[in-house]
Amino acid sequence: MPSRDVDQNPRRPLADRLPPWVNAFSGGCWVIAIVGLISGVTVLAQQQRREDALQLWVFADIHRKLYTPIIEDWNAAVSDSNAEPVNQTMLGQEPLRRRMLAGFFGGLPTADLIEVERTMAGQLFAGPVEAVGLIDLTERMKAEGLLDEVPSASLTPWTTRDHVFGLPHDVHPVLLGVRMDLVEQAGLSLDGVETWDDFAEALRPLMADEDGDGEPDRYLLAFWPNESARDKIEMLLLQNGTGLFDADGQPVIASEPNARTLAMMVSWCVGPNRIAADVRDFEATGNQLKTQGYAVAFFMPDWMCNVWKNELPNMAGKLELMPLPTAQTGGRRTSVWGGTMLGIPKTTTDFDAAWDFAKHLYFSPELARELYRSGDIVTPIRRFWDDPVFETPDPYYRDQRKGLVYIDAIDEVPERHASPYAQTAIYRVADAATALLRYAQSEGVYEQEDLVDEAMRLLEYAEQQVRRPMETNLFLRDAEPAS
Amino acid sequence: MKTSAHIHRRERRAAWALVAPFAIVTAVFIFYPLYRSIVLAFSQTFGPGATEPAGWLNFRMTLTDPLFWVALRNTALFTLGSLFIQLPLALILASFLNRPDLRGRTVYRLVMFMPQLVGLVFAAMIGGVFFAKRVGAVNQILHATIGLDLDFPWLDQHVTISLILIALWLYVGFNMVYFLAALQTVDRSLVEAARIDGANPAQRFIHVVIPSIRPVLTFVVLLSFIGSMQLFELPYVMLNGAGTENRGLTVVMYLYQQAFVAGDLGMASAVGWLLGLALIAAAALQMLVARKEAA
Repeated sequence: MPSRDVDQNPRRPLADRLPPWVNAFSGGCWVIAIVGLISGVTVLAQQQRREDALQLWVFADIHRKLYTPIIEDWNAAVSDSNAEPVNQTMLGQEPLRRRMLAGFFGGLPTADLIEVERTMAGQLFAGPVEAVGLIDLTERMKAEGLLDEVPSASLTPWTTRDHVFGLPHDVHPVLLGVRMDLVEQAGLSLDGVETWDDFAEALRPLMADEDGDGEPDRYLLAFWPNESARDKIEMLLLQNGTGLFDADGQPVIASEPNARTLAMMVSWCVGPNRIAADVRDFEATGNQLKTQGYAVAFFMPDWMCNVWKNELPNMAGKLELMPLPTAQTGGRRTSVWGGTMLGIPKTTTDFDAAWDFAKHLYFSPELARELYRSGDIVTPIRRFWDDPVFETPDPYYRDQRKGLVYIDAIDEVPERHASPYAQTAIYRVADAATALLRYAQSEGVYEQEDLVDEAMRLLEYAEQQVRRPMETNLFLRDAEPAS
Repeated sequence: MKTSAHIHRRERRAAWALVAPFAIVTAVFIFYPLYRSIVLAFSQTFGPGATEPAGWLNFRMTLTDPLFWVALRNTALFTLGSLFIQLPLALILASFLNRPDLRGRTVYRLVMFMPQLVGLVFAAMIGGVFFAKRVGAVNQILHATIGLDLDFPWLDQHVTISLILIALWLYVGFNMVYFLAALQTVDRSLVEAARIDGANPAQRFIHVVIPSIRPVLTFVVLLSFIGSMQLFELPYVMLNGAGTENRGLTVVMYLYQQAFVAGDLGMASAVGWLLGLALIAAAALQMLVARKEAA
C-alpha cells in the first residue's frame, strides 16, 4: 500500500507525515497559538487560584501594621476549625479606590473586606441604594446592638438614606495643638481662652517683630485658604457653620453660619489683625516652617498626633493640646477631620465569616489599645474609653493625657452627612474661600463682618455649582427621600 | 500534489492567524473601549448599575460649565507658553550647540537633556518645593537679590508662569535634541551659497535653515501642542490638584475630576471626546498649513 510505504520512509518531510488539520496552518502559527494558549491558561489559573482565605484590603500602612498581629492570632486560632483565615493586602489610597470602584462598576470580585477612607465614600453611595457595592449592615448592627456602642458622628459618613454600609474605625475629633514652649517662654497663658478672638488676644505678643524686618517673626495659626486646606475649611464649617449637606443629602453650603465662618477664616489671613500663615501639613516646606516656629498653633485630629511624631521627632515636648477655640462663646469646642470604615462588598463569598472577622478586628479591645498606642487614634467604641491606655501621659505632648482630652471632645463631634457630591462640594467651597481671600486682599476689606456678604455670594455660587449636576441627574429626579 | 488553490487557502488562513492576535487585542483594548466611551458620552452614570441614555446632556453640561472654560483657558495659556517660549528657546540652543567650533558640545547637550531623565512627577515635586512660599529656593533667591516678598504666591496666584518655567526646564533639552538632529542634516553648501550671496546670519537662518528643517519643526510643534493640551501630571502633583481658584486646572484634569471626583463617567467621556476631536482638528489644520507653506 503506497501510503504505508510513504509513512515508513524516514526521508519524507515532517509536514507530509502530519495530519491535514495540523498542516492547515504554518509552523509559525502553531508556535504563536501554543505560546498564547500556555500564557492564557497560566493567567487564568492564577486568577482562579483564589486563596482559601478572606481577603482584606487596607489603604494605610499604619493600619496594616496594627492589624498584622491581630490577623496572625486570628489565623492561628482558626487553623483547627472551619473558620476562614484572613489575608491582608496593603494598597495605596488611590489604587484601592480605583480597584474597588472598578470592581463595583464591572460587577467583578474585589475583596471580602475593604477599608474605605472618607473621601471615597461619596462615590460608593452614588446611585440607587440597592446598587451600592457594599452590603447594608444596618440590620446586623441593630440586632447586635452595635449602633448604640458608637457615637452617631462616627456612623453618618458611612450612612446613606438611613442605611449603614460600614463599621466605623474612628471618630477623629479635632483639637488645637499649641507650641506651649513658645507660649511659656513669652510668659503668656491660654487660661480662659474660649473664642478665636480670645486666642488671638492672649497670644498676640508672640507675633512681635523682633528681627526688625517689618514683619511678625511668627504667626499664631497654621492656616491658609488654598487647595491644601480643603479638609481644614470643611472642618471649620462643620465646627462653626452648617457643614455642606443636610441629613437628606441636600446642599446647605450657602448658609449664614457658613458665610460667617468663611469670613472669619479669611479675616485671619489679611490686614493688620492677621494671625494665620501658610504652613502646610505633609510637606517638607511646611515641616521646615513648623520646626522654625513660624506658626504657634495647629489643627490636630487625633491621627495628626502620630504624623507629628513620625515627621517631626525634634518637636517632642513642645506641643500641648487644647479644645478648639470657637467663633462665638458657647460654641462647639471640636470638629472632625478624616475617617475610615470597614465595608463588606456584595461579592464576598462568605458574608458571615467576613462579618465575624470585621467585628473581631474593629471591636476588639486589643485593637482599640494598639490603635491609640501606635497610631494615637481613639476608638469609637464607648466601652473601651475607660481603658487605662488613654490615661497614659504622652511625653511628645508634654506628658499630657491626651487620650482623655480627645475622648472628652468626642460627644461634641459634628455629624457629616454622606453625599455623592461631597467631594465636588469641598472643592467648590475651597474655591470660594480662596476667591474671598483675593477679594479681601484686593479691596482692602479685612474685618469679618465686612466680608460676610461677599462670602455669602461666593457660597451661593459654590452651591449653585454643586446643585447643577444634581438637578440634571436623571436618577435623583425620582429618588426616594433620605429620611 | 497540492494545487495552487490549496496553497493559497493555506496561506490565507496562516495570514489570518498571524494577524488575529493583533486584531483581537486592538478590538478588545482599543475599538471596544472607544465604542463604550461613545456610548458613555451619551449616557448618564451614577454609581454602579445606574446608566441611562442622556442624549447630548453631557456635552451641553460640559460646554455650559464655567469650570470647563477655566480649564480650557489655562490649557491654552500653557500651550501658547510652550509653543512660543519653549520651542524658540530649544531651537536657539540647538543652533548654538550645532556650531562646529564649539568646545564641550557633548557636555552641554547632556546638561540640557538631563532634566528629561528625572521624569515629570519628580520635576513637579521639585517645582512645588522651588516655588514654595518663604522657604522655596525661588523666593529665597529673589528676596536676597531684588527684595521680592518671601511670601510671593507663585503656586497660588502665578500658577501658569510656574508651570511654564518647570515645563521649560523639563522639555527644552528634549526638543533641542530633535532640532539639533535636524540642523545637522541641513545642506552646508546652501548656507554657504546664501552667505556668498550676501545674506546675513539671521537671513540665512530664516530663509535657508528653517525651510530645511521644516518637517522636523512641524513634527515638534505638533508633538508639543498635543502634549501641552494633554497637560495633567505636572500641575496635579505640583499643586496637589487644580490649585488655588482652579488656576492649575487643565482640560484633562477637568476630565479626571468629572470621572474620579464627581464620579460622572458619562460627562468625563464627553470631555474626552471633545478634547480628542479638538486635537484631531488642530493637528489636521496644522498639517494643512505646513503642507501649503512647503508647496
